[in-house]
Amino acid sequence: MSKLDKESHIRYIASLDSKRDDYEYWLSEHLRLNGVYWGLTALCVLDSKTTFNRSEIIAFVRSCWDFKAGAFAAFPGHDAHVLTTLSGIQILAIYDALDVLLEKPGDGRDNSDSSNSSNMKTQCVAFLRSNQLSDGSFQGDRFGEVDTRFVYAALNALSILGQLTPEVVDPAVEFVKLCYNFDGGFGLSPGAESHAAMSLTCIAALAVVNKLDALSPEQMENIAWWLCERQVPEGGLNGRPSKQPDVCYSWWVLSSLAIIGKRDWIDFDKLREFILHSQDPKRGGISDRPGNEVDVFHTCFGVTGLSLMGKDNLVEIDPVYCMPASVTQTFKKYPYHEQ
Amino acid sequence: MHGIKRRELTQEFLSKKRARDAEKIVTYRTLTKRVLDAKNEENYTLENLNATTRLLELNPEFNAVWNFRRDTITHLKDELDVVFWDQEIRFTTQQLKLFPKVYWIWNHRVWCLNAYPGSPVEKWQQELLLVNKLLTMDARNFHSWHYRRVVIKRLEQMTRTSLNQQELDYTTAMINANISNFSAWHLRATLLPKMFALSEIPNVKDFIQKEQRYITNAMFTDAEDQSVWYYIKWFVKSDCVLKVLSTEEYKIMLQELKDGIVMINLDEMEFSGKENMWCLKLLCFLETIQVEELGLDIDAMKPEYLRKLVSFDPLRKNRYRSLAEKKMILSRRDAC
Repeated sequence: MSKLDKESHIRYIASLDSKRDDYEYWLSEHLRLNGVYWGLTALCVLDSKTTFNRSEIIAFVRSCWDFKAGAFAAFPGHDAHVLTTLSGIQILAIYDALDVLLEKPGDGRDNSDSSNSSNMKTQCVAFLRSNQLSDGSFQGDRFGEVDTRFVYAALNALSILGQLTPEVVDPAVEFVKLCYNFDGGFGLSPGAESHAAMSLTCIAALAVVNKLDALSPEQMENIAWWLCERQVPEGGLNGRPSKQPDVCYSWWVLSSLAIIGKRDWIDFDKLREFILHSQDPKRGGISDRPGNEVDVFHTCFGVTGLSLMGKDNLVEIDPVYCMPASVTQTFKKYPYHEQ
Repeated sequence: MHGIKRRELTQEFLSKKRARDAEKIVTYRTLTKRVLDAKNEENYTLENLNATTRLLELNPEFNAVWNFRRDTITHLKDELDVVFWDQEIRFTTQQLKLFPKVYWIWNHRVWCLNAYPGSPVEKWQQELLLVNKLLTMDARNFHSWHYRRVVIKRLEQMTRTSLNQQELDYTTAMINANISNFSAWHLRATLLPKMFALSEIPNVKDFIQKEQRYITNAMFTDAEDQSVWYYIKWFVKSDCVLKVLSTEEYKIMLQELKDGIVMINLDEMEFSGKENMWCLKLLCFLETIQVEELGLDIDAMKPEYLRKLVSFDPLRKNRYRSLAEKKMILSRRDAC
């Protein structure tokens, strides 16, 4: 297949919420808010943002509020997590609806007093900060799982909210530096093997807080080398040496390279070919690799990867936030300067 | 969804699936409602604990249910005996065997071990057996490797004994079983600096020589695999080597490695008519150390290697071009 079938991908994403007869639909509730973010981001890149109903989606985001933890869960009645809190905030930001967070949680009708300390924004910020541990890392929730994914998610969310502080940023940067490995990749925690997804979370975490200079020029060169070695002869990118290629690494690897200014160190045409071969020509959507079952996650990272390469006339995506560049332009960039 | 083959579904298959799904959906949603209601009401009972078992068997990724399970166990702690805890650990073992890549199960496993009455050292030791088994099933599962690090760290804290040598032996066994197991090479490269720092290697110079023979043997065994090349790249720049070898010994080591790589490359040329990309990449890398860090006056082959790489490894041609340009800028600056 030599062309990106935009129309069928848009139809595929639009159809996701109508699959309630499928058992799998219910089994994936714990990823619903993340799924909405992946779907919406893909639609934005495909220049079809209005395919989703804005007010319905915003109402769904609100309904995912976890009153006990004071942040967003994946689905109503589930538990808040750093990852899903980021998804909720990203969706609101894409809809230019961050003001919703200035309201109290609930149906939103009772008040919209922004000075009230218990509005959702204040609670989200407190939740994110409370999950930072003494070594600068972040746990995903109160049960203590630590992973560089959560560092990135927390810094990303705080950045969107304009609430980064040196108290949060400086130790987080120190932690990220410890996750750097000799081969030029990053692991999920200090000592863990390099993995392309964790490399993105570390590089983008540093970029979000404007601290890429925490890495030495030699490290940068090593990082770029390790990342470009992820491209395999089939054209796709893998996450670690001797592993199979997977469309989602089109995002993890390419956005990392884009952030450090080495986007063209891989072959765009070969990668594009791999992504396009992973489309489902009949039902739309993109899978992890050619011939496999599609899903919204790989559809998102397939089209965002193509956008990073400037291919197929797609809307520009920001490699640091994985959101449309037109949205992220409006974010206040750290370090904040007094106006 | 990773690695699920796309199938052409017939209408007949679809309608059968719909019928089957309809039943499963009712069971799943009823159970989900029951558990989430109990969670919301903070109703911590053994019955609800058993309901979470059934639900997690249907969906091991349901994190809110794992959370409720832990809260329930914490509340019932005083009523629960060792038999319960052993059963809880067995439950996560079953789950991990079925779903070895689900973060939440690994997370629950660590929680269980920490919450186990007294968190005895024997329990943590048994964990190594589990990890060994899972790494036999999938030698690259990074969850297993991560959990292994967690367990080892904990055992070292509890017993105040370094397990570095044991772990080094484990990496040797794993690499000997499959030389492309980069996860094992990775662990090896993180262990050696610790062992050198703790003086756990009796004769360091001897060790470095042996290690050089080991990696030389590995690169001759499978020159197509990236793992050993990454390891060599680390080895020649690591403090383990730099602080132990004299400059003269270091120069000799680099030259020996280069000679070996040139030989592998020639063999491959003879065999397949093509040069080995990784040989060329490493030759560039080693020559850069010789010239830029040691100031050796040798015949510079790097421009030639880079030129070849542009055509043999076109996916990364822009990297090679950029390295070649940088080289030219440097030499022009020298000429001024």
